[in-house]
Amino acid sequence: MSLLVLLVLAPALPGVAAKTKAVLTGRRGAPVMQLYWDLFRLVRKGAVYSTTTTWMFRVAPVAGLVTPLLALGLLPLDGRRAPFGFTGDFVAFAALLALGRFTLVLAALDTGSSFEGMGASRDATFASLVEPALFLSFVVLALATGQLSLEGMLGGAQALPWGAAAPALTMVAVSLFFVLLTEASRVPVDDPATHLELTMIHEVTVLDYSGPDLALLLYGAALRMALFAALPVSVLASRAHLPVAAALGVLVAGLVTVAVAVGVVESSMARLRLSRVPQFLVAASVLASLGAILQLLT
Amino acid sequence: MSLCFVGLALIAASAACAALLRTRLVLAERAYGLLVSAGCVAAAIPAFRVLAGGSAAVVRLSIPAPSGPWVFGLDFLSAAFLLVILGPGLASALYGVRALGSAQDRRGVATARALFAVELVALVLVVLARAVVPFLVAWEVMAVLAYFLVTFDNERTEVRRAGWVYLVATHAGTLALIALFTSWAGVGGGLTFDALAARAGSLPAGGALVLCLALFGFGLKAGLVPLHFWLPDAHGSAPSHVSALMSGVVIKMGIYGLIRVVSLLGAPPAWWGWLVLVSGVVSGVLGVLWALAQHDLKRLLAYHSVENIGIILIGLGTGALGAAYGVPLVAVLGFAGAVLHTVNHALFKSLLFLGAGATVHATGTRIMDRLGGLGRRMPLTWVSFLIGSVAIVGLPPLNGFVSEWVVYLGLLHGGTSGGSIRLVLFGVAGLAIIGGLALACFAKVCGIVFLGVPRSDAALHGHEVSAGMLGPMFGLAGVCVFIGLAPGLAVGPALVVGASIARVSLPSSVGDVLAGIVRLGIWSLVLVMLLALGAVAWGAIRRRRSIARAETWGCGYALPSARMQYTASSFAAPLLAAYGPLAGVHETLDRGGGAFHTHASELVLERAILPAWAAVRGVLGRLRPLQQGRLWVYLLYVIATLLLLLLYLARGVSP
Repeated sequence: MSLLVLLVLAPALPGVAAKTKAVLTGRRGAPVMQLYWDLFRLVRKGAVYSTTTTWMFRVAPVAGLVTPLLALGLLPLDGRRAPFGFTGDFVAFAALLALGRFTLVLAALDTGSSFEGMGASRDATFASLVEPALFLSFVVLALATGQLSLEGMLGGAQALPWGAAAPALTMVAVSLFFVLLTEASRVPVDDPATHLELTMIHEVTVLDYSGPDLALLLYGAALRMALFAALPVSVLASRAHLPVAAALGVLVAGLVTVAVAVGVVESSMARLRLSRVPQFLVAASVLASLGAILQLLT
Repeated sequence: MSLCFVGLALIAASAACAALLRTRLVLAERAYGLLVSAGCVAAAIPAFRVLAGGSAAVVRLSIPAPSGPWVFGLDFLSAAFLLVILGPGLASALYGVRALGSAQDRRGVATARALFAVELVALVLVVLARAVVPFLVAWEVMAVLAYFLVTFDNERTEVRRAGWVYLVATHAGTLALIALFTSWAGVGGGLTFDALAARAGSLPAGGALVLCLALFGFGLKAGLVPLHFWLPDAHGSAPSHVSALMSGVVIKMGIYGLIRVVSLLGAPPAWWGWLVLVSGVVSGVLGVLWALAQHDLKRLLAYHSVENIGIILIGLGTGALGAAYGVPLVAVLGFAGAVLHTVNHALFKSLLFLGAGATVHATGTRIMDRLGGLGRRMPLTWVSFLIGSVAIVGLPPLNGFVSEWVVYLGLLHGGTSGGSIRLVLFGVAGLAIIGGLALACFAKVCGIVFLGVPRSDAALHGHEVSAGMLGPMFGLAGVCVFIGLAPGLAVGPALVVGASIARVSLPSSVGDVLAGIVRLGIWSLVLVMLLALGAVAWGAIRRRRSIARAETWGCGYALPSARMQYTASSFAAPLLAAYGPLAGVHETLDRGGGAFHTHASELVLERAILPAWAAVRGVLGRLRPLQQGRLWVYLLYVIATLLLLLLYLARGVSP
C-alpha cells in the first residue's frame, strides 16, 4: 500500500525540487508534475539505438527500475514493517543499488562514446567514495537500536531512542542527506540543469538513451531519489506509534520537505569543482563515523 | 579419506600419462583429462561427505617415517580447503589441456601438464597433513613446482624476473615456517599437530612468536600488503590457467595455514586479532586501488587477489577477536565468512583468469587500452567474465555477495556486543571502501575490454575460443550462480567450519543468521526473476515502437573513431587522483612529442624492497676483501676459528 503511494508520488519529487529552485530564483518554472508528462510522452515515442551497443545497453534501463523497486521493498515505509526484510538486509540494500549503478555504467561504456565514458567514470568514482558514508550510517543505526535489519533500524516495534542518541542520529541524518545529493545526482555533486556534456555526470551517462528506455531510466532515477530521501526522513521522524494513514502522511510530507531542501541547496550554491567533490563525499563519511564514535562512547 | 588417496593416485597417474605419452598427443590429452577429472571427483567426495555429515570425521592415516609419524587427516577445515583446491584446480587443468594444445614446444607442454597435476597432489597433501614434516615437504613441493609452472614461458625476460622474485619470496616464507614449527615443537617434542596443540598452553606470551611468524610466513604466501610484492608479476606473467590456480588456490594455502595455526593454538590474544583485521583492511583498500591503476589485464586481476585476501583477513581477524573476547557468535561468523569468501574467491578469481586467458588467446595482448568490443566477438567468454565480475564486486545475486554479507554480519554483531570488541565496526567502513572501488575497477575492465569499439586490429580480429576452454569457465560460473541463489547450502556448512575453528558449538543465536540467509536466497531469486521478467516485458513494449539505428551521438561530431573512446586509464584517473600518492601512478608528459604516459608502479617492491636490498648489498660488499680466492687465506681462517673455539672451551673448563 505505502509502496504503491511512493511509486506514484516519486516522479513529483524532482518536480518539487525544480519548482523550489525556480521560486527562489524568481522564475515561474515548470509545473511540479512535469516529469509525469515527460514520461508519458517518452513512452509513446520510438527509440534510436547506436550501432555500437549490445544487449547490455538494453538491459540497463530494466535493471535501473528493478533495483530501486526491490530496495524499496526492504524499507519499512509505513514505519512498522518492511514488505520483505531480513537480518543483514542493509548490505543487500546497498549492494542492490550498486548493481543498478554497475549496469548503468557498463551501458554507458557500451556506446563507445567519450562523453558517456566520462560520465560513467565520474559516476563510478563518486559512488565508490560515498559508499562508506551509507554503511557507516547503517552502523550508527544498528548501534542505536541493536537491530541488524532495516526494518528494525528504521521502524519496527521500538522507535529510535532519541535522547542520548540524538546527536549521533542527527549526524546520520545529515550524512544520509549528503548521500541523497550524490545518489540523486544533485548540486553540489552534479547539476541536473547543465547543458554542457563535459560538466554533466548522470545526464551524460544516459546521453544515448531515447524514447521508452529514457522514460524507464528517468522513472528509476526518481525512485532512487525517493528511496534515498526516505532514509533521513525515517531517521528523523519515527512513525511506529502513528496510525498507518498518518504514518504515510508524515512520510510523504517528509519526502516533500527533503525535495524542497534539495531545491534550496541547489539555488544557494553552485556545483563544486570536480576535484573538490571527493572532499564533500569524504565529509559525509567523516560525519557518519563521528556519529559512530559518539554512539560507541554513550 | 581413503577415497582421497585414490583420487590423488589418479591425479598422479595423469601426470605420468602426460609425461610418458609424449608421442601420442591426442591419446595423452584424453587420458590426462579423464584421469584428472576422475581423481578430483574421487578426492572431493569425502570432503563433501564431511561437510554434509556435520560431524568432524577426522580419519587418521599414520605412516611410520623418520622424524615422527606422518599423519594425515580430514576435518571440517581440510574439507573446505579440499574443495577450494579441487574445483578450480580441475577447471584450470582442463582449460590448460586446450590452451597449451596449440603451443609448439611439445616437450615443454607435456612437462607443464605433468607438473600441474603434481602441483594439485601437493596442494591436497598440504591441507591433509597433520604433522610438521609432511606439511613442510608438501608445502615446499607446492612452492617449487609453482615456480616451474610460472616460468613456462621462460624465453621472456620479465617472466624469468617474476619467477626469480617469487622464488626468493616463497623461500623467505618457508624459512619463517620452519622457525615457527621448531620454536613451537621445542626440543624433543612430538612433531604431529596434536602434539603441537597439546603444547599450545605452555608457549611463552600466549604464542606471540608463533603467531607473528605465522602472519609473516603464511602472509607472504597469501600476499597481504606489504608482503604481496612478488604476486602481481608472478600471477601476471604465468600462463593463464596457471595464474588461475595460483590466484585462486595456491595463495589460499597461506590462509589455510593461518587458520590451522589459530585452530591448533586456541583463542589468540586480542592484539593479534586487531593486527590481522587492520592488515586485512590495508590489503583490501590498497590492493583494489593498485588494481585500478593497472593497464595490464592479468596484473589487474592479480592485484584483486591482494584485495580479496584482505577481505578474507577482515573475516579472519573478526573471528580471532570474537574468540579472544569470548563472543562465540562473532567468532563463528568471522571464521565462516573468511572460509566462505576463500571458497568463493577461488571460484570467481580462477574464472576471471581463465576469461582473461581467453581474451589473450584471441587477441594476443593483455593491454586493456588495445582491446575493446570483444563482447560482440566473444559473446560466451563475455557472459562468463561478466558473471565473474559481478561476483567479485560482491553484488547480488552471486556468491561474492553472500560471503561479504556473512563478514558484514560478523562485524556488526561484534559492534553491537559489549566491550572493546565494538571497535570492529570500523571494519565496515573498510569493506565499504573496498566494495566501491572494486565496482569502479570491474566497470572499467568489463567496459573497456568487452564493450565499445575495438581499439586495435588485434581486438578487431578477436574470435570466440574453443568449447574445451569455455566449458571449464562455464562450470565455475555455474557454481558462482548456484551459491548465489542457494546461499543456505553454502553458509550452513561454512558456519559449521567456523565453529570448528573457534572450537565452540554453534551458538543458538546463529538461528537468526540462518533465517536471514534463507530469506536472502528467496530475495536473490526474486531479483533474478524480476530482471528476467522486466527484460522480456520491456522487449515486448520496445517491439511496438519504431526503432532506428544510428551512430553513437557524438555531440554533433560526424566522424567518431575508436581512438576517441574513453580508455581504461582515463576511466580510472579521477579515483586515482582522489587517492593521490597512495595510488603510485607516475605521469609523464612529453610536450614536444605530444605523448602522455601513465605508469603504475609496484610501490612496495620499487620503493622499499629493492632499495633496501641495494643497501644490504652495499654493506656486505665491504666484506668482499675477506674472499681472496687463495688457499692459504682460507686455511688461516680455519686455524683461527679453531683456536678461538679452543680458547672459548678452555675458558669454560677452567676453575
